[in-house]
Amino acid sequence: MKIILTIAAFLFFLQVEEVAGQVLYSTSTGEVSFYSDAPLETIEAANKKTGSIINATSKELAMQMKITDFIFPNKLMQEHFNENYLESEKYPTASFKGKIKEQIDLTKAGTYPVTAEGSLTIHGVTKPVAVKGNIISTGNDLKLDFKFQVKPEEYKIEVPSLVVTKIAETIDVTGKMTLVKK
Amino acid sequence: MITSVKKQITSGLLILGLAWCGMAQVFAQDDLLQMLNEEQAKETNYTLATFKASRLINGQTIETISKKHLNFWISHRFGAVNSGFIANFFGLDEARIRLGLEYGLTDQWLVGAGRSSLDKTYDLYTKYKVLRQSNKFPVTVTGLAGWAINTMETGYVMQSGSEMRFNSNVERYSYWGQVLIARKVNENLSLQLMPTIIHVNKVEDPSISNDLMALGIGGRYKLTKRFTLSGEYYHAFSEPDAFRASTGKAYPYHDAISVGVDIETGGHVFQLHFTNSRGMIENQFIGQTVGQWQKADIFYGFNIARTFSFEKGAKHKDK
Repeated sequence: MKIILTIAAFLFFLQVEEVAGQVLYSTSTGEVSFYSDAPLETIEAANKKTGSIINATSKELAMQMKITDFIFPNKLMQEHFNENYLESEKYPTASFKGKIKEQIDLTKAGTYPVTAEGSLTIHGVTKPVAVKGNIISTGNDLKLDFKFQVKPEEYKIEVPSLVVTKIAETIDVTGKMTLVKK
Repeated sequence: MITSVKKQITSGLLILGLAWCGMAQVFAQDDLLQMLNEEQAKETNYTLATFKASRLINGQTIETISKKHLNFWISHRFGAVNSGFIANFFGLDEARIRLGLEYGLTDQWLVGAGRSSLDKTYDLYTKYKVLRQSNKFPVTVTGLAGWAINTMETGYVMQSGSEMRFNSNVERYSYWGQVLIARKVNENLSLQLMPTIIHVNKVEDPSISNDLMALGIGGRYKLTKRFTLSGEYYHAFSEPDAFRASTGKAYPYHDAISVGVDIETGGHVFQLHFTNSRGMIENQFIGQTVGQWQKADIFYGFNIARTFSFEKGAKHKDK
């Protein structure tokens, strides 16, 4: 009897300990850019309001941005991006949710090459992806940068045949952000 | 007895402990995304692209253009559709043309100028977006103020058939002010109200007031991503009876009604429409529309807008 009680109590406190011990790093001003290099046109846009959270204890990671926060040098392009391609009214955000594969302790200072495996949601379509990047930790903050590629077609983003020469088939996405300990 | 109570308490505790364990797990995983969502939900989300262009058909929309962007407008109104096939190819043999430029001083404030071949009129206007529709406010409100000068020779015959004599240049001026109120109801439907006041320095008959109040209503419905239906109606609070009493003739002007489509192709917006108004500036189409829909006395027309960006980084992108 006592043993069971002790186990219950132990489990109870263990969990409390673990919840209190969660180390979260976050930012709401992460920068994510994309670059499309097509024969006729080069298109670049940046989102400087990307929200991101890393749980150093469980090594889980989430990232979310509003499509309307992507800034283009050409505002007409920005409007078309929202209205015709990403349909931001229907699908207001793009997000990533995943877990860092490597066995590392991000609370310890150092440079860590990382791979995050998880799911990427763009234009309402969710796909499994693995994103490679680097994290430089000082213990108090994490500097994260990453790079990957997306194919608009895979996320059901229609490109009319009239403009195929202006939009690349594969688009480079890069991100850099500094997450601060909560 | 006591043992069984103890047993119950123990198992109860155990379940509690396990439940807590489960909750903690839920907390740990579910959900970092949720936390981001909650943070981003606090931000103001402004409504984008209530209309495709800064003009609906003849009149303006609440849309301004972005800072350092320039719009070039080419507008045509052909001859009356009922003017005959042999005589006028249903109106396509001739056209009234307006060329216009618009420049965005800020994302909310633009200035524009144009020249119409109808009454050889130059116009200047400015438009400022005062309030923006968002998840916290229901409508967008834009103010418009404009001025035009009619440079026809004095004594010319107006569309209405009246002769117009100017004694000084000031008599050639017209002014207008408009409050544009629009709501993007959903992704496809946008509606707009346009209370308007127009002041014309010289009118053709003393029975016509120099000041004219009008109320416009307009809207658009997106059929596909790049194809939109649009319509526009301006009711002028004029006094036809006073004109008839004074001149013995019927009042020559009617409410302006226009319907059309917008077709968007990359950097251009094409607006094709039918309207009973040949004028393309406010004092002309709100105050001096001569055509009548019931007589098929209407005009086919188009507006083409081309946008140029002078923003840094936008240059040299076109290969």
